[in-house]
Amino acid sequence: MNHDTAKPSSRILLTGGRLLSPADDLDLSGDVLIEDGRIVALGQDVDAGSADHRIDADGLLVCPGLIDPHVHLREPGQGAKETIATGTAAAVNGGFTSVCCMPNTAPTIDSADQVEWVRLKSEATGRCRVFVAAAATIGRRGESIAPIHTEIAAGAVAITDDGDGIDDAAMMHRVLATCASLGVPFMQHCQDPSLTRDATMHEGVVSARLGLVGWPRVAEEIMLERDLRLNRSIGACYHAQHLSSGGSVAILDQARRDGVRATGEVSPHHLLLTDAACDGFDTNAKMNPPLREERDRQALVQGVADGVITVLATDHAPHAAAEKALPFEEAPLGIIGVDCALPLYVEALVASGAIEWPRLVELLTIEPARLLGLDRMGLGRLRPDGPADITVIDPELDWTIDVEQFASQSRNSPFHGRRVRGRAMLTMVGGRIECDRLGVASMA
Amino acid sequence: MERTEVEAILDRAEALLPAVDGTRKATQIQESAVFGLVFLEDSTRTRLSFETAIHRLGQRAVAMTSTGSSTSKGESLVDTARNVAAMGVQGLVVRCRQSGGAARIADEVDVPVVNAGDGRHEHPTQGLLDAAALRSRLGSLEGRRILIVGDIGNSRVARSDIYSFTALGAAVTLVGPPSMVPWHLASLGHSIVVSHELDPVLDQADAVVTLRIQRERSSSGTVPSDYREGFGLTKDRCRNLRREVPILHPGPANRGVEIDDGVLEDASRCLVLDQVRHGVAVRMAVLERAMAGASG
Repeated sequence: MNHDTAKPSSRILLTGGRLLSPADDLDLSGDVLIEDGRIVALGQDVDAGSADHRIDADGLLVCPGLIDPHVHLREPGQGAKETIATGTAAAVNGGFTSVCCMPNTAPTIDSADQVEWVRLKSEATGRCRVFVAAAATIGRRGESIAPIHTEIAAGAVAITDDGDGIDDAAMMHRVLATCASLGVPFMQHCQDPSLTRDATMHEGVVSARLGLVGWPRVAEEIMLERDLRLNRSIGACYHAQHLSSGGSVAILDQARRDGVRATGEVSPHHLLLTDAACDGFDTNAKMNPPLREERDRQALVQGVADGVITVLATDHAPHAAAEKALPFEEAPLGIIGVDCALPLYVEALVASGAIEWPRLVELLTIEPARLLGLDRMGLGRLRPDGPADITVIDPELDWTIDVEQFASQSRNSPFHGRRVRGRAMLTMVGGRIECDRLGVASMA
Repeated sequence: MERTEVEAILDRAEALLPAVDGTRKATQIQESAVFGLVFLEDSTRTRLSFETAIHRLGQRAVAMTSTGSSTSKGESLVDTARNVAAMGVQGLVVRCRQSGGAARIADEVDVPVVNAGDGRHEHPTQGLLDAAALRSRLGSLEGRRILIVGDIGNSRVARSDIYSFTALGAAVTLVGPPSMVPWHLASLGHSIVVSHELDPVLDQADAVVTLRIQRERSSSGTVPSDYREGFGLTKDRCRNLRREVPILHPGPANRGVEIDDGVLEDASRCLVLDQVRHGVAVRMAVLERAMAGASG
């Protein structure tokens, strides 16, 4: 990680913020002292001594660095959409200190060599920590199982064919059993392909009007239900990505009550938007799974409030402007997310009264850290001798989302122009300040 | 579209019918306008209909089709249309396989764009010409019940028919097997009902539009092999329609599937050729409006 504005060897003191780390039962006003990329001390009686920089965090939340377990960084091979450099710049711009990138690249990240390549490229050009989810099957084609052992040995933290679900039940069984034996999470993109042929948006009133082939809820639910049935006896760490249907929340809830090992994630757009956003053939509302109806949106918010959905993920999916300018059916799927996700989560979950700030921080830090095993490295927490991955948030700041201010290389967001509240003011990755809206650099 | 707009187009089309029949010349809308016909999906009658309409208005048409053009080299829809517009044509008529494609082009070019059918979305001039043919036969569509039979979900004709018929005060029953007519299609407008059986609703009909089974747009296995038994307009079934009830088909027909030979050729009932005739007049009226809007 280059681009340091404050040298990691310097001593930095964050003073007077609300220290909020649910995993450490920490919620108090105090200071954090950082040196050599690690937290030296924190609390109400930190000996500031000879700090090189003092950062006033009065009125701000000082949280563990935010973690996004689902992003598309588009490298290798899709540099017209995003690179590891620009995708991670977008992440730190939005307050994220760690991201987990998906393997649907060109070529697919389906070997130890590819995992290693992404790791080296991230070390050279990344602005935040990059963890890799490697493919479950070769080329993500669902036909032959990928070398999962060696992918994990090379550093992959999760296994997924994201972009597609694993359709074949026998293959799913094989992959889940392999992941269970290795103790690594498997992340499923739940979509039965036979129910979604030619589909480009949610099947309903809007698709009927627009003359677009619909992607029904049941295509997600049927695969989720099958997977949970398989995992009942396998016991892998099964994670359902980007849930979109209210029915899926109920299915996941019941399975968790029954003791099936499973977690689920939801994205900002599914928490805030519905298929009405596709009106006028707006390709910035085209994503997979699709935006659904108000009752689904409410069920997803409630799923977070009830603790059924325990992970938030942007599914950051950059695409070049020319690609999104294609007619709706030909335009690629997905929207960018990391630059502006935080205030959208705040709007959907905190401002709506579904949860409070400490739970939101938990959902953005320790929960994804536990899912991906990053808590073993001390990520997702704030504690002495832990890595200094810290996000400082102004929970009251009102601002307007402007895609031209994004650090992502792409601009495909339906949230451009939205008035929001809450913003990452400082993003520190291993003691390096990677995003600074507090003017720390100018104080140095 | 509002009722007044639909009626204005139909009234103008009616006035233009003598020009279509060659009994009178239409007044020219503009000196030497050239229209670009961008037809990127197979079409016979719609393209010829628009070309004829343009010629009857005393203008010229240049046409491009998908075979033998740059689209076969992978050029995108919008790029193709932009290039045709850059040749200085005064208007574009677009047929494409992408829903929303015509509107997408209209966003990108400075000349009027007429949608001649975009994917599964809409085929507005077909909707208008069907309404014109029906109005001329029935006098008025107010309070009439019109059955539309076939693969409604995949049909741009059905959507445009619904909009123009209901704008004129008609009620619409969408008929077909559940795989082709999902319940949520009733949301396409007021006074629309869905029926998964044809026979019980035949006696309500003041008119029947039967659609072509579109094998190019339906994924394999969605057309029931007994479609004709349940939904085909057979001679026997038509005996259960009142004698004066007209039958429309947008063409081209799959004879013996959605409509039988004898029905298609029953000139007292079947309006298919009348539809084609009204089609030229409606397209003249629409092109006039488009050009008037562009210069006004």
